[in-house]
Amino acid sequence: MRRHWLILPVLLFLVVFLIIPYVNMVRMSFLVKPQGVPYINVFTLGNYAKVLSDGFYWAILRNTFWYAILTTAITLVMGYPLAYAIARAPNRRRPLLLMLLIAPLLVGVVVRSYGWLILLGRVGLVNEMLRYFRRGEVALMYNELGMIIGLVHVFMPFMALSIAGALQTISPDVERAARSLGASPWKAFWRVTWPLSLPGVFAGMLLVFVLSVSSYVIPILLGGNNVLVIPMLVVQLLLDAYNWPVGSALAMVFFGLTALLLWVYVKIMNRSLRWSVR
Amino acid sequence: MASIRLHNLTKRFGRVVAVNRLSLEIREGELITLLGPSGCGKTTTLRIIGGFEHPDGGEVFFGDRAVTGLPPEKRNTGIVFQNYALFPHLTVNENVAFGLDVRGISRMEINRQVAAILKKVQLTGLGGRYPHQLSGGQQQRTALARALVFNPTVLLLDEPLANLDAKLREEMRFYIRHLQREFGITTVYVTHDQAEAMVLADRIVVLRDGVLQQVGAPHEIYQRPQGAWVADFIGLSNFVKGMVVGSRDGHLMVQTPAGTFTATGTAASGEVLIVLRPESLHFQGQHPNRLAGVVRERAFLGNLLDYRIECGDNLLLRVQADPSRLYQPGERVEITFSPADAWTVAEAASQT
Repeated sequence: MRRHWLILPVLLFLVVFLIIPYVNMVRMSFLVKPQGVPYINVFTLGNYAKVLSDGFYWAILRNTFWYAILTTAITLVMGYPLAYAIARAPNRRRPLLLMLLIAPLLVGVVVRSYGWLILLGRVGLVNEMLRYFRRGEVALMYNELGMIIGLVHVFMPFMALSIAGALQTISPDVERAARSLGASPWKAFWRVTWPLSLPGVFAGMLLVFVLSVSSYVIPILLGGNNVLVIPMLVVQLLLDAYNWPVGSALAMVFFGLTALLLWVYVKIMNRSLRWSVR
Repeated sequence: MASIRLHNLTKRFGRVVAVNRLSLEIREGELITLLGPSGCGKTTTLRIIGGFEHPDGGEVFFGDRAVTGLPPEKRNTGIVFQNYALFPHLTVNENVAFGLDVRGISRMEINRQVAAILKKVQLTGLGGRYPHQLSGGQQQRTALARALVFNPTVLLLDEPLANLDAKLREEMRFYIRHLQREFGITTVYVTHDQAEAMVLADRIVVLRDGVLQQVGAPHEIYQRPQGAWVADFIGLSNFVKGMVVGSRDGHLMVQTPAGTFTATGTAASGEVLIVLRPESLHFQGQHPNRLAGVVRERAFLGNLLDYRIECGDNLLLRVQADPSRLYQPGERVEITFSPADAWTVAEAASQT
């Protein structure tokens, strides 16, 4: 195959607009930040020392990962039954269900996040109803709860689609075989359907985790000033504090930890999916 | 081990009647095949017996036990599916052990029984492999072992050989027959392949559009089909239209445009079709039924020669003869056949 040059345009685009900026960020994270200017060309490990020694950064890192894990767990628990219903729907109804699942993706995240205002805001539908029944008022927005609701809402289709894809590859005969061999519906699910759907589950979890851990718009719009996650903090450091080196160092630490987590995750995944290696 | 009795089974899907008032008794230890074209209701019937479909009417008995309302896991049936439906995430050992495992049998006993059945299906040594590491034939034997290891009451086979290549399929027919005899298990075998049905079955059940057409031993179905549809569906047939004009010595006299023939059948009068199998038509012989014709086409089938003989207007007979004597296209021949090989069926049964 002598068609390598076909990827050149994309490669060029990525180098200019993705790889060079990244490399530049890595470089910046090792430079000194004096007063008044973004950085000077003097090497230092101080930025990393500052990030790694500050309990504040660690707390935000922990929170960010926690929110992402929580979002992943909730989308999994809610998305699996949804995916199952779609995968086992009659052939002629399935395309419609898939369309409905994907439809929200056609509307921008910002628009949808503002949509939650109408439902969850102080004078939103939910609180108006609570007031009507004299049940007081619940803070559903501009806090962790609002942000998690938003994240789950936006990333649910990714989870459900991944799982539905895996479930559709499982022949209904395999479940029938399990039943005929004496397994109750519940047992047949846990011993056959669930393990066979794991490739989709793992893919969906990976996707939702990566998307929600790096999410920026939703935490800002629905978390307001009461929630802080790493992507928000990095932007604040870069733009508000004008501290490019420390901002870059934090982004690198965040990247490193995420990569480490994913590496462990893929290890576990491969071990559980040994049977599917061909 | 038990007999299976189907009583008046009916199953509809929307407006389509997949199984229509089907009644059938399958004796203990018997192997019957459900044979018919696709959409004839054979797989639906199998699924009803297995408990995967609930009939709209009628009942299923295993021996004296009514199982109509029981879920699949309470029926103790071994099933082999067309695609084998092996569990891809489990090894051969684990696949075969599944039915014993869910029954709460001890690990030691499971290992003993799995090893014994794998030996029986000649898979010893492959227990640690995953299904995708097996050949088609090995997957098929794993599926058989998995379906038999827990001593099921009945064995259900849904076109189990359809995914194998022709040569292996032939071998497996005899192998399945052998295994079924050895276990002495009541077996229902679904197929659309009549050769398979002939080789395997104690009795063949011919289905069409959910309606039972005929039940009988393979030679009965082949030599004495009930109706033109069965005659046409099973094997090759020449049909000669005629009219019963009398009877003599237990045979029927049938008048046709090509002459009057002595035939066999139950129809006493009226319009009939004479069913003539290509291999029961002869160029020589002393059979009382004779008609003259001209060879139009000839094809070599290896063990047979396949002729098309024109016998008068609009009557083209297919004749399969042994290749010891060659007849050339254009040659005049005389075809003879015995009254016993001329089986009449009522014409009323619509032909397809």
